[in-house]
Amino acid sequence: MKIRTIAFLLILFGTLAVFSLTYAQNAPEASERGKEVYENSCAHCHGIEGRGDGSAAENLLPKPRDFTRGLYKIRSTEAGQLPTDQDLFDIITVGMPGSSMPEWETALSTEERWQVVAYIKTFYEGFKENENPPKQITLEGKISYAEQSVEIGKELYVELGCVECHGNVGRGDGTSAPTLTDSWGFQTWPANLTQGWNYRGGADTEDIFKRFIGGIAGSPMPAFEGDSFLNFGLTAEESKRLIELENRDEMTEAEEEESGKFYEKMDTAVDIALSIKEGAEMSAAEMQTYNDAMKVVYEKSWHLANYVKSLMPEKRPEPAIGNNVLRSQYVQGTLPAIDDAVWETFEAGYFPLVGQVVIEPRQFNPTIDGVHVKSFYSDTEVAFLFVWDDRTHTTGDEIDEATGKPLEDALAVQFPVKVPQGPTAPKPYFLGGGRLPVYLWHWKASTPEQVTELTAKGINNAEAQEAQGELQVQSTYIDGQYKLWVKRALKTEDKKDLQLEPGVFVPIAFSAWDGSNGDVDTKRTMTSWYTFTLEPVPSSRRFVYPPIIAILSVGLLFGLRAFVQRRNTEDV
Amino acid sequence: MKKLSLFTICLIILIGSWVFLEFVVGGIISVPIPNSVIAMYMGLIVIAILVHISVEDSQFREFLRPIHETLVDDRRRTHRRVLVVLIPLFLLGYTYAIIAQRANPPGSPRDAHPSPPLELTYKDEVIGTMQDVVNPFRHYEKDDPEAFKAHVENGKRVYHQNCFYCHGDHLDGQGHFAPYLQPLPANFQDPGIIPNFQESFFFWRIAKGGPGLPAAGTPWDSAMPIWEDHLTKDEIWDVILFLSEYTGYQFRTFGEAH
Ligand code: HEC
Ligand code: HEC
Ligand code: HEC
Repeated sequence: MKIRTIAFLLILFGTLAVFSLTYAQNAPEASERGKEVYENSCAHCHGIEGRGDGSAAENLLPKPRDFTRGLYKIRSTEAGQLPTDQDLFDIITVGMPGSSMPEWETALSTEERWQVVAYIKTFYEGFKENENPPKQITLEGKISYAEQSVEIGKELYVELGCVECHGNVGRGDGTSAPTLTDSWGFQTWPANLTQGWNYRGGADTEDIFKRFIGGIAGSPMPAFEGDSFLNFGLTAEESKRLIELENRDEMTEAEEEESGKFYEKMDTAVDIALSIKEGAEMSAAEMQTYNDAMKVVYEKSWHLANYVKSLMPEKRPEPAIGNNVLRSQYVQGTLPAIDDAVWETFEAGYFPLVGQVVIEPRQFNPTIDGVHVKSFYSDTEVAFLFVWDDRTHTTGDEIDEATGKPLEDALAVQFPVKVPQGPTAPKPYFLGGGRLPVYLWHWKASTPEQVTELTAKGINNAEAQEAQGELQVQSTYIDGQYKLWVKRALKTEDKKDLQLEPGVFVPIAFSAWDGSNGDVDTKRTMTSWYTFTLEPVPSSRRFVYPPIIAILSVGLLFGLRAFVQRRNTEDV
Repeated sequence: MKKLSLFTICLIILIGSWVFLEFVVGGIISVPIPNSVIAMYMGLIVIAILVHISVEDSQFREFLRPIHETLVDDRRRTHRRVLVVLIPLFLLGYTYAIIAQRANPPGSPRDAHPSPPLELTYKDEVIGTMQDVVNPFRHYEKDDPEAFKAHVENGKRVYHQNCFYCHGDHLDGQGHFAPYLQPLPANFQDPGIIPNFQESFFFWRIAKGGPGLPAAGTPWDSAMPIWEDHLTKDEIWDVILFLSEYTGYQFRTFGEAH
């Protein structure tokens, strides 16, 4: 028994050791096999010569990485350094969420992934010239997630100007957001920090921390590079004081002098950092200044990372499919208005949007992630609240060249005109085509208090209804988020409208347009058919039948006992 | 150890089978079984147990003994009291749960591979009968490997400009838009797909997309685009070559068993 256990453990650890050895080894020499894997699996995006210009690249944004410049976004190494082989291996293994870069764990073996790492390194000379291994970011001194750290991080977020790009609450709606380009000259959007599932490099606190210290090379996102970003050289209090001073309209002479001192201090620290980078010898005092400054930078970055972490839900919400349908709740009397706190008290149905890639013009790179929907109904009316994130508030001032139409943010909600009876009855087609028409609500940012009712027979074939029903509409755009509230009577006179009734399952679908992403006409994001229902008020029978059945069962048990007892006495 | 009574054994078998079907097969092996099928299996097991215990009189009495004792025997008084509370409570909760249950939407039965039309068309042009049409570039595989390679390469381009968003980089139906479409995009790595169809069938599906399906395929749900609006005939044949080259599966040719 014992020997067997030991033998088993030996085999187990032996296998594990072999596995981890193959895993930990660095990339092998570039080989024919790596080239083959690359040309089979990567070249159509990253290009035969690694310039990021494969045949699929045309439609994609962010563009597939150009490997010839040695710029890598997701690294465990300090700013300005190349990634380690393990970094490359890891990103190829898991892919880059929120972009078209797929994971390769399913399609390529561990060995093939190492081979391809070796191969993509051949596109950039820098990998050969660098004899020294790149300097890795240490995760020592991690400040764990805590309320207090989040608070400090929040202050830093404002202090350091993250707001300008990522917006007040992190939805990527800062004032500079629409103006950013990356090192290759392509437009790039600041991340929506509330959507951790779209972070390119993972949304663990450690991942986020590494992005600040190491930077996101090629992106306009600032990183600590031994420069004045993160007020290098100042303690937390000093940097707070400096920002306070700078925000004054006027400074007294003494204050001018004070801020000047701070700048001197930062310059000294930056100079030392630069010299260290160049490999110069430093005195002990200088090293001390540098180390102290670095410590502050690391601490700040942990606080920031904790704050960023606090902005996102734990995971992406589950889409409202299967039995998880959108259920409108019954209320007696008047329905809650757009700003009623009751909307906050329950979970929304989540409808992830995908690009419309079926009909020209197509949208391959959607910027709207999904719509969150809640609903209430009363005896006569139904109210919906639609909520979605959009980095910009675009109201049609700019005209799209191809279509001549204004570019503006919009949302459409699609229902069938008649609810299909039974599961096999034809529905209107996906995208509204086919024999059966759809009934649409179309809202545009330029007319925020109005929803147009449309009847459509196809994605390009929608007409405003002659009789516009009595839809009540309210909307807001705050911190990168639209809220749209629509109220309608359950039943209308108009034959082209959908008529609503509790307990009926109604197909529902959505489209959204982000004007600043060039969305217009069929270039948009959309969902396939989902289901919506006015949840019937629970039947009062639920209080009647169960007690009756319980009482009956007690009677039955006693009856059975009496019966058995009588039989026993008879038997005797 | 005390020998288990026949009654307890039967109870264990019943509960054990249910746990096995629901959690082991449905959960761990993850082949979820519809509730109606579980009910059927459980019914069969109950019948088997009844047959087993009623074969002999003594067996049957042995089976009833614990029930009998619980009902009348004085030594079982506590059991009895607990049960007379638990059973009605359970029924109370159970009936309440059934009545208060929310209605769920009906599932949508869908034939993923309905019969194609007899004639294969591209836009309005008739190409031939579904049975007889073959991929015009397939013969290069033997006759002119260089030309064949060029067609596959072109098919790869078409695929990555148009299809991978849904059908995925690995052709496994896991593109980055895929999780949010119902029904899911086809998985060409599934050994039950390519080998079961002729290339003409795929041409039909690609050319006419979801809306080209007959009613049994619930065309109104499918997100599969109508590609004859965007791609030339040759491009569709090329992308079909690419699908089989990349996955390593051979399309069925006419005459092979389905
Ligand atoms: C469908 C197109 C596509 C395919 C196929 C693809 N990539 Fe990418 N890849 C991208 C895009 C797009 C990016 C850039 C994402 C970004 O910048 O946010 C990227 C980025 C990368 C990066 C840079 C990561 C970083 O830290 O900056 C590496 C490395 C990479 N890809 C390797 C590969 C390898 C190896 C393969 C083949 C096994 C491959 N890619 C296949 C689209 C693709
Ligand atoms: C000049 C505009 C700008 C500023 C200022 C800025 N960012 Fe960013 N940030 C970006 C852009 C652009 C991206 C997207 C990078 C990419 O994926 O190419 C980004 C991405 C991110 C990410 C996501 C990383 C990932 O893995 O996808 C985080 C987290 C982040 N920023 C946090 C911050 C914080 C915290 C600050 C303040 C210290 C900040 N940013 C300041 C532009 C900015
Ligand atoms: C918008 C997403 C989307 C795109 C883009 C797309 N497909 Fe599809 N495709 C689907 C869906 C969803 C299905 C499954 C539903 C159906 O059968 O109609 C499907 C089914 C298919 C089938 C049927 C397979 C079978 O088992 O019968 C083929 C063949 C196919 N697609 C090929 C392609 C090709 C080739 C392209 C590119 C030219 C493409 N698809 C692009 C979504 C898409």
